[in-house]
Amino acid sequence: MNVDIGAEVKHLHPLEIRVLRWAAGAADNSKREVELRTEILISSLAFNVGQCNQVFSWLTAKGLVEEKERMQRTFYELTERGREFQEVGTPYERLAKTVRERGPLALTEIAAELELDNKDIGSAFGLMSKEGVVAMDGEKRVTLKLPDLSPHIRTIRALLDRAAQQGAIEESSLTASELEILQSVSKKRGAGSAPFRVAEREEVAYRMTAEGLELARRVEEQGLTGEEIGALTPAMLASGEWKGKAFRRYNIQTPPARLIIGRRNPYAEYLQWVKDKLVSLGFEEFDGPLVETEFWNGDALFMPQFHSARDIHDVYYVAAPERATEIEQPWLDRVAEAHENGGDTGSRGWGYSFDRDFTRKLILRSQGTVLSAKQLPKAKIPGKYFGIVRCFRYDQVDATHGADFYQTEGIVLGEDVNLRTLLGLLKMFAEEVAGATEVKYVPGYFPFTEPSIEVHIKHPDLGWFELGGSGIFRPEVTRPLGIEVPVLAWGLGIDRMALLHLGLSDLRELFTGNIENVRQRKRK
Amino acid sequence: MPKIEVDSRAFFEFVGRRLEGDQFEQILTVAKAELDSSEDPVLKIELNDTNRPDLWSTAGLARQLRIYLTGAIPKYRFFSTPEERLDFSGRTIEVDPNLREIRPYIAGFAVAGKSLDEAELKDLIQTQEKLCWNYGRKRQSIAMGVYRHESMKYPVHYRAAHPDNTNFVPLGMDRPLSLRKILSEHPKGRDFGWIVEGFDAFPFLTDDTGDVLSFPPVINSAKLGAVEVGDTDLFIELTGTDIDSLLTATSIVACDLADSGFTILPVATRYSYDTKYGREIIAPFYFQRPISVDVDYGSRLLGLEFTTEEAVAAVAKMGCRAKAEGKKISVTVPEYRNDFLHAVDVVEDMMMGRGLGAFEPIQPGDFTVGRLTEIEVLARRVKNTMVGLGYQEMIFNYLGSRKDYVERMRTSGEELVRIANPMSENYEYVRSSIIPELLGAEAVSANAAYPHSIFEVGKVSRLDPGDTNGTVTRDYLGFLHSDRSADFNSVRSHVAVLFYYLSIEHMMRESEDPRFITGRCAEVFVANERVGVVGEVHPQVLENWGIQMPCSVCELDLTIFL
Repeated sequence: MNVDIGAEVKHLHPLEIRVLRWAAGAADNSKREVELRTEILISSLAFNVGQCNQVFSWLTAKGLVEEKERMQRTFYELTERGREFQEVGTPYERLAKTVRERGPLALTEIAAELELDNKDIGSAFGLMSKEGVVAMDGEKRVTLKLPDLSPHIRTIRALLDRAAQQGAIEESSLTASELEILQSVSKKRGAGSAPFRVAEREEVAYRMTAEGLELARRVEEQGLTGEEIGALTPAMLASGEWKGKAFRRYNIQTPPARLIIGRRNPYAEYLQWVKDKLVSLGFEEFDGPLVETEFWNGDALFMPQFHSARDIHDVYYVAAPERATEIEQPWLDRVAEAHENGGDTGSRGWGYSFDRDFTRKLILRSQGTVLSAKQLPKAKIPGKYFGIVRCFRYDQVDATHGADFYQTEGIVLGEDVNLRTLLGLLKMFAEEVAGATEVKYVPGYFPFTEPSIEVHIKHPDLGWFELGGSGIFRPEVTRPLGIEVPVLAWGLGIDRMALLHLGLSDLRELFTGNIENVRQRKRK
Repeated sequence: MPKIEVDSRAFFEFVGRRLEGDQFEQILTVAKAELDSSEDPVLKIELNDTNRPDLWSTAGLARQLRIYLTGAIPKYRFFSTPEERLDFSGRTIEVDPNLREIRPYIAGFAVAGKSLDEAELKDLIQTQEKLCWNYGRKRQSIAMGVYRHESMKYPVHYRAAHPDNTNFVPLGMDRPLSLRKILSEHPKGRDFGWIVEGFDAFPFLTDDTGDVLSFPPVINSAKLGAVEVGDTDLFIELTGTDIDSLLTATSIVACDLADSGFTILPVATRYSYDTKYGREIIAPFYFQRPISVDVDYGSRLLGLEFTTEEAVAAVAKMGCRAKAEGKKISVTVPEYRNDFLHAVDVVEDMMMGRGLGAFEPIQPGDFTVGRLTEIEVLARRVKNTMVGLGYQEMIFNYLGSRKDYVERMRTSGEELVRIANPMSENYEYVRSSIIPELLGAEAVSANAAYPHSIFEVGKVSRLDPGDTNGTVTRDYLGFLHSDRSADFNSVRSHVAVLFYYLSIEHMMRESEDPRFITGRCAEVFVANERVGVVGEVHPQVLENWGIQMPCSVCELDLTIFL
């Protein structure tokens, strides 16, 4: 195994350092192969079994030790009851303590005092009187005969403590008398009442590899002890205990844990960025309801009521109520006149009979231009307005069409605005909003603007594409709504750039409910 | 927008020169056209101007490009006008007075002098389709028929016929059917029958011997209505409901065929009722009046000074003859166009004729103050707090199904705005609450590490009889917390944080709501106005969504805080 000694030495765990230091010493003393076993670490370094397992697995993974052989071993471990004895005392200890403190007592009284079964107190008394520690007086009360507990009982205590500290006691580490006593308080398969259980386990013996010994030498050289401070605690700061001590080095390369944080949706952030951009260019935001009338969605924009884009298959109609109760005057009359004969707009109109029932039909707004039209009667001159608003189209939902989607639209009103300022505006959008490197203008067609211009841009990543449509509102749109100055109208298709920003190719993904996908999404 | 296929050889012959690559694409912008694809010899071209149906054919599109390139405006000598009636040599169409309320107008003409080749026949069929579908509103306002002319006897009779007692063999079939049967049994009858089916009598066209031409606007007869390559004499008629667009469409077809080398023979239509052009109209008929345009108006709108001479030259490139009259120009509208409603339409042709490249972009000069809406400003404050509380912002669609909005939520749905013509039942309702969207997201996200905390600020709409539009739109905040311990209290404390930072006092009143567990649901009040709801989602609702993790949600109407 290839080991980078220099890097490894910095990232050793205290347990590893202690094992390596011990191994370095052992190697110097014996000049022979250094063997490592659980039992050795327990006796020499006061590790417990869990720590031994951990350190062997780390060292093996790093190629610092390797497996030498496997052997069957017998271990004695604490049972649930054994842990209780170790913590609160064995029945012998507790019985002796009670009598010492309270004077002679009947066995039943002691059992009640200690909340132990009579049976358990009885058997403890049996052993203790056999050992000569206690006796029964004439009134059948227990009295102490010796100042101390017997060696047998003290050995049980020692074994309990050792097992608790080491995790388990390996059979070969016991003296004959210890073994005899231990066996007397153990049951195979850990029966409930015995404090110890016997476990047969395979134990692995390891030996240091050459790299392990080299690393051990470096550890000694650099004076690492494994006693370096791990976590700095408030208590250490209060006591000053940290002073003069070294801190354990952490592995800076350890992959960090994943955190789940609260955050904005990157598509919403993108839309917000566009809004801020437009505000910075002097545009005031407008907004409006999702349900609109045919009047504002089409008629006010001088789209004839027989226009193909106004068929049942292009907009969503509200089922009930079907119609608005009224359309605001004087806009209704003026718009109707513009359609029929041009009214005072200078137009000949579309020359048909305007349907005042149809115009009240309620629909889900199909274009953001609705809001531009509604803004006209209340617009300031000069004025710039925009909206990024949800629209609805009768479209099959697929990668490029949603049932609802955002449109970015706006208007510019002013005495002096004209085609050239429209081109200038489009150039500003192309550069500021879309980051275009080149801009191209093409004559376009929209029913509500004349002239109409499409703007195509060359984007550093997307190449040439149509960024938006625009034009100067027809007089038949503006004059009926009380506006005498030219009005530039524009719309931008920012979805392609939004998708690019997010590394997506499907519009449906922008509105996904998949929490994991949204959590991982970020701007490119 | 119509897309046409043209034979490139014929097309460039009409144009007068071959155009390729960028130069071709550039010149197409004059017609607001885009080259969609080209697969020799066929060019697929998309036309963006729905008011210029004259561009939707090989000859028509080529004409515009040719005029632009050469400046030569064609002169068509077969047009009658209100003042000048051409000789129609006894070719007449007699119109039944009963058609007045059904399909009142018809115009026709004949062509001769040349035999129809394959490209021309294909183009004629394409013109018919595009004109009648896009410009004629799916044949409702314009339908067109082409017939073999040599065996026809004038006058042609345009009649209102009895649907059941009138029979003929329609094109594509070999036995006679009644007009009514054609509506149900012929494919074209099924496509276009809706235009006439509500009337007691149907339009019907025969020659003087009773030979059937067609059943407009549905289908031609098999006998006279089957035109083939090699035919030399054709009769063309158009029927419809709007006389101006009908006459314009007739002129377009006549000009196209004239450009192909055919001689156009006028035909008179005789009505027994008044039309805006009298009771006898000889087609092709030119009805346009000259338009007078103030050149200064054009210069101001375009931001570039035009002299009257420059304006005349510019519109000429678009096919319009014009002459200067003081500071104005008087424009004669081309025979095949009907898109000049206002002087501004001439101004556009001034722009196109001059070329868009002549217009240098300039920065808009007016100073204006940019501003967000109040609701946007509030929404941003709310979003910041939600993010601080560990919530992920979501954006959801606004349309959904009855299943999601009503059945799964155990609500009545009586306030929901329903779409009359939904594309699918998945998008049949406008949402009136964000909660179903939040649960929908949770339902597809069991694989995402918990806890889940998501929110959205967005619009909802609901019925409101008090509003003139019968509906109101509101800006809502909705949020959901989902985890093993996502109980009422967890979300309730988030509500408290939100109100604290909005500096608004709020109150909770316990409420009964089938969406939530009883006793773990409250309505939120601000100054005695109900602004929202917070609660631990009922396990039945969770089961309806297939969610296996406790969820608590809150929804607040932000509009009220403005």
